[in-house]
Amino acid sequence: MTALPKPKSMVWLAALVVAANGFFPALWVLFTSFKTEAELMRLPITIWPASPTLDNYVRVFVDQPILTFLFNSFMVALLSTVLCVTVSACAAYALVRLRVPMPNLILSVLLAVAMFPLISLMIPLFQTMRALNLLNTWPALILPYAVLSMPVCTLVLISFFQDIPRDLENAAMIDGCTRLGALWNVVLPLTAPGVFTAGILAFVNAWDEFLLALTLSPRVASRTLPVGITLYQGEFSFPWPIISAALIVAIVPISILIAVLQERVVGGLTQGGVKG
Amino acid sequence: MSTIESTLAPVAPPKARAKPGLSPIDRDERRLGFALLAPAFLLLFGVVVYPIVDLVVTSFQLNNLAQPWMGTPFVGLENYGRAMSDDRFWEATFHTGLYVLVTVPGAVVVGLGLALLANQPFRVKWPVRLGLLLPWALPLVFAGLIFRWFFEYTQGLVNNALLMVGLPAQAWLTDPTLAFIAICIAIVWKTSSFVALVLLAGLQTIPRSLYEAAEIDGAGKLAQFWEITLPMLRPAIVVALIFRTITAIQTFDIPFAMTNGGPGNSTETLAMYIHKTTIDFLDLGYGSALAVLMFIVSAILTAGYLRYTRRDPSARGH
Repeated sequence: MTALPKPKSMVWLAALVVAANGFFPALWVLFTSFKTEAELMRLPITIWPASPTLDNYVRVFVDQPILTFLFNSFMVALLSTVLCVTVSACAAYALVRLRVPMPNLILSVLLAVAMFPLISLMIPLFQTMRALNLLNTWPALILPYAVLSMPVCTLVLISFFQDIPRDLENAAMIDGCTRLGALWNVVLPLTAPGVFTAGILAFVNAWDEFLLALTLSPRVASRTLPVGITLYQGEFSFPWPIISAALIVAIVPISILIAVLQERVVGGLTQGGVKG
Repeated sequence: MSTIESTLAPVAPPKARAKPGLSPIDRDERRLGFALLAPAFLLLFGVVVYPIVDLVVTSFQLNNLAQPWMGTPFVGLENYGRAMSDDRFWEATFHTGLYVLVTVPGAVVVGLGLALLANQPFRVKWPVRLGLLLPWALPLVFAGLIFRWFFEYTQGLVNNALLMVGLPAQAWLTDPTLAFIAICIAIVWKTSSFVALVLLAGLQTIPRSLYEAAEIDGAGKLAQFWEITLPMLRPAIVVALIFRTITAIQTFDIPFAMTNGGPGNSTETLAMYIHKTTIDFLDLGYGSALAVLMFIVSAILTAGYLRYTRRDPSARGH
């Protein structure tokens, strides 16, 4: 006996609620970004822009160097992702395949250390980067961001490495490959999806980080996007149409990324179970 | 281990220190294993361990960048004593605790609701999946700014919706209690989608046959939820709870974007107070003491998480 199929309208309603919850705030900001300042002053408020304008988008690029913010964010996220995935993949492989003693304990130590709260690291990192003259540089953010995503990347990669049959590597090694050769030629191509998944999660984590970016990159020209966005507000004024347009410019790249890679992102998130 | 032993006991004959059953090939592998673990630990040492030591040292110093002529003398526990009698520290701690108590269960309940709604046989999957992914992928600051706009007094969506149904507009961001509520709503919106994704994966592992059997036994939908869904989801819920708690203790971005701790200091979190103390007031010594107090709390919770994952491998996603 199977359960009666649910009424179609209920399924549709459920989908609508979840989608609306996720999309509505961004859509509202999108509508706002096309409105004029004058339209925003009128009450009652409008939903659709009455006379859509692109002026706000022009102001976004004129008022602040948002392309610089985008570039900084992209480079910092990309480079920290490469570092994080490389380091995590090495560690994960060692823990799964090579006979290091007490792999569980090592993994726990690695996770515990990497999960220290950023706010505690902020002050000494600020002092150190200041002493090393690294404030306002990419490495000041790349290194901590690589650690930020190390737990999720290591966990995702461990579960991928575990799924690869040992026999494949052994066969390659019998055929004359070294252990590293087997890792490079046999294991890595097979775990490419895992490496990729770990990479996306690390990229999004780095792209979103705010506290360290705010602290370690005080100069406007070296700010990342999340910090740069806060510069559109004046001391006492909040030009909402411009801020909205800036938010849209900032949201679009990451939305495209997750839209294209959504299945991998969901798989990685539920596998690593990390990040709030 | 073999490398440590070989440096400690160079006189011992090589055969003697090899464990029985560990062939030369195994020893090579083990050495390679250590080599591959080295970069991770090097990075952790530079970015976490050394800074933490530095933090603890600074917390025992008078270290104020605004008074460089004072130097950085050792002052013992003075900074910690100051924290104990600092009302703003206790208020910030209290606010942080409130955020944890409200937004962690809030995100789990809302996330569970979203997961149950999303766990349907949709033919087109992407709108629901993206609807859950988008809030997760947005930077927290963006969520803060968007909700600040929603809660804006005259043009904000929330007050205009209230006016439309005949209710008075509220001073969402300038009344201490309402500002706290508004911030909690923003945090729950932003964080519940991650919880929903984790719980949705959990829901999809529950075998259909359990529900079919319950149906035959005459159990209603509600009974099925309490007797099957919730117990089967328990591990996923625990993971989500712990992760949310660890991040909630560090709450910074959303209140920073929405109220910057105001009105007064009524929505200020511990992380925000630490940031202000060090970056705005340049008092590194006192800020470090506050940060040490905070990481002690965090460490206890992280240890709890690790104990849980070690006991239950499914929580690690294996």
